[in-house]
Amino acid sequence: MADSREGEIKRPEKALKAKKTTTPDSTEHHNRKDKVVTDTGLEISRLYTAADCPQGEAALAEIGSPGQFPFTRGSAANMYTDEPWIMRSYSGFGEASACNNRYRQLVRQGTDEIVMAVDLPTQVGYDSDHLMARGEVGKVGVAIDTLRDMEILFDGIPLNSLKRVSMLGNSFSPTALSLFIALGEKQGLTPDDFVVDLQNDILKEYVARGTYIYPIRPSIRITTDTIEYCALNAKHWYPCTICTNHINAAGAGSSYAMAFALCNGLVYMRHLMEKGHAIDDIAPLFSMFMDERSDFFVTIALLRAARKIWARVLKEMLGARSSESLALKITAYSHGGETLLEPVNNIVRITLASLAYVLGGVHSLYNASYDEVLGTPTEEASKIALRTQQILAYELGITNTADPLGGSYFIENLTRRIEEDIYTELTKVENMGGAIEAIESGYYQRKITEGALKRQKAVENKERIIVGVNKFRTESQAPSGAFRIDPALEDAQLKRLQKVKQERNNEVVKETLSYVREIAEGEKNLVPAVLEAVRAYATIGEISDVLRGVFGEYQAKEFFSANR
Amino acid sequence: MDKRTRILIGKVGLDGHDVGARVVAMALADAGMEVIYTGVRQTPAQIAHAAIQEGVDLIGISILSGSHMTLFPAIMKALKENDADDIPLVAGGIIPTEDIQTLKEMGVKEVFLPETSTSDIIDFIRNLLESDA
Repeated sequence: MADSREGEIKRPEKALKAKKTTTPDSTEHHNRKDKVVTDTGLEISRLYTAADCPQGEAALAEIGSPGQFPFTRGSAANMYTDEPWIMRSYSGFGEASACNNRYRQLVRQGTDEIVMAVDLPTQVGYDSDHLMARGEVGKVGVAIDTLRDMEILFDGIPLNSLKRVSMLGNSFSPTALSLFIALGEKQGLTPDDFVVDLQNDILKEYVARGTYIYPIRPSIRITTDTIEYCALNAKHWYPCTICTNHINAAGAGSSYAMAFALCNGLVYMRHLMEKGHAIDDIAPLFSMFMDERSDFFVTIALLRAARKIWARVLKEMLGARSSESLALKITAYSHGGETLLEPVNNIVRITLASLAYVLGGVHSLYNASYDEVLGTPTEEASKIALRTQQILAYELGITNTADPLGGSYFIENLTRRIEEDIYTELTKVENMGGAIEAIESGYYQRKITEGALKRQKAVENKERIIVGVNKFRTESQAPSGAFRIDPALEDAQLKRLQKVKQERNNEVVKETLSYVREIAEGEKNLVPAVLEAVRAYATIGEISDVLRGVFGEYQAKEFFSANR
Repeated sequence: MDKRTRILIGKVGLDGHDVGARVVAMALADAGMEVIYTGVRQTPAQIAHAAIQEGVDLIGISILSGSHMTLFPAIMKALKENDADDIPLVAGGIIPTEDIQTLKEMGVKEVFLPETSTSDIIDFIRNLLESDA
C-alpha cells in the first residue's frame, strides 16, 4: 500500500513541508482539503471569529447560562462542579449467575449505574426455550425469562446501592419496569428507594435496530403506559429515553437523527397529553440518547443544540413551562468509530468520544469496551471503559467549570447551525404529519439508507480516514482472543426456566395472565396487570404471547431495494 | 447477453442491525448484480426457500449477534434438505477469527469481517462464480 507507515517515517519533515507547498493537490499527507464538509453536511471554515457567532447581550439571550433557558450551556447551573455525570456500565451476557460476577466487579470498580444488556430473545419477547431463540440465548446480553433471573443477577447488589439501574428494552417495557419493581420488593425496597431508567422508545425500532414485536399503534400504548405508570408512581424515574443513537448509527447522520428522534418523542408526549396529562407532569420523565461519531466538535455542539431545540420545542409546541421539563437530560454511549484491526486503538477513540460528550454536557454516559467489535467485552475491557470515564472526571480538571467551551467562536457557530438543521428537518417531518407518517411512508428509512451508503463510500474513497484501516495500514487480520460465552450457559438457563415453571403456582400465573389479557383488551394502564404476572413468575414469553394475541404482530414492510 | 448474477442478501435470527447488509446489497447492485434483500428476522428455512424461489447464484448472510455457529449450520441444513446446497453461501458480520476456519470447513465460502471493502466482496463473488461456471 502506498501510504505505509515506513514511508512516512523516512521522509524528513522539511521535505514533507516543501512537498505540501509545491503540490497542493496531493492529499496523501494533507490534513485538510480546501472544502471540508462534515458527516452531517456542515461546511467547516479554516477560522472562526467574533463575526461568526452572537456576542454580548445577543449571546446571553441566545444561549443563556448553564441551568437557564434555553439550556444550551447545560441542564444545571453547576454542571459537574458539584458532581460528575452519572457513569453507566452497559453489560450483560450468558445467564444471570455468570453475569452477576461481572456486575459485582463493576460495582466494586465504582460504576454508578448498571445498564443491563439483555439477549435478543428477551428483547423480542421469546423465552429461552422458544424455537426462534435457538443460538441467541445469552448472546448479546444476559437471558432474562422470569423474576428469578433478576434475583440471581442482582444478588448482593441492592438496587439502592447504585445511582440508577437500567435494562435495555423497548417492546417489553411494562415487563422490564415490573421486573425492577418486583425485584425491589424482594430486596425490601419501594420505588422511592431507587431509580430506574429505561430506553422504552419503540418507534425507532421500526427504522433501526429492529426489536419490535407488535404493530406501531399498540406499541405506542405500551411505551406510554410505562411512562404514565411512572408519572403516577415513581416521578423520579426515567421511563423513556428518546434515541438518536440507533438512527444515526444506521446511517441518518446526527442532525437528522436528532430531528427524527424528537419527532418520535413528540408522538409519546402528545399521546400522554391527549390522555389528560399536563406536559409539565410528564416531560421531566423523558431524557434523550444522543449520538455523533464523526467529528469531535460537532459532537460537543450537537449536545448543546439538542438541549436548546428541546427547550424551544417543548415550550413553543407543547406549552411546557417548568425548568424540569425544559432542561433536557442527555445520555450518550461512546462508540462508533471502533476498528477490528488493532482494536487497542479503540481505547483512544472511545476516550476522545467520551471527552466530547462531557464537554457537550452529558447527564449520564456509558462507554463501549474497546473489544466490543470482536464480540462480548472481556472483563478487562469492561473495566477500562469505566476507568476511562473516571480518569476524565477526576484527574484532569475537566469538571471544574461549567460549559468550559461556551463562547468559543467555533463551538457557538456550530451549535447555531446544527440547531437550524435540526429544526428545519423537524418541521419537515411535522408537516408530513409526524413520526408515524414518516415511518409508514418509508421517509426515515430512505434517509437512513442514503446516509449509510454515503458513509461507506467516504471510507472507501478515503474522504474519511480510519487510522490503521484505510491509512497507515500494517495489519491484515483481526486479532483472536474474543470473549467466549460458554455454551453451557444456555443449558443452565433452560434448566432454570424449567425449574421456575415447576415451582411456581401455575394457577396464579394463569389468572394473572388472563388479567393481562383483559386489561390489554381495554384501555387501562397495562403495568399493574403485568406487574402481578411478573410477581407470580410468569415468563416474558408468556406475557408477550398474551399481548401478541390481543395486539397482533408487526409485519415488517421492507422499503429497501438495492437495485436502483 | 449473459444472465445477470443474482444474489440473496439476508438477515437471519433476531438480530435487527442491518446497515452492513444493506450497504453490501447496494454495492453489489451498483456493480451490476441483481440483489434480493430479505429484511431482518428470517428463519434458516425462509432463507433457503427465498434462495430457491429467486434462483440466486449466491447467498450472503449477515450476523452480528454471535449466533453464527448455530444459524449457519441451520441454513446449510435447510439448503441441503431442499437439494440446494450447491448455492454458495458467504458470511458477514462480527465473527471471532477462531470461528472462521470452522465455518469454512462446514462449507461457508468466505467470511467478511467489518472493514472489508465492498470492492473486495465484489471481486470475491465474481471470482467464485466464474470458477464455478
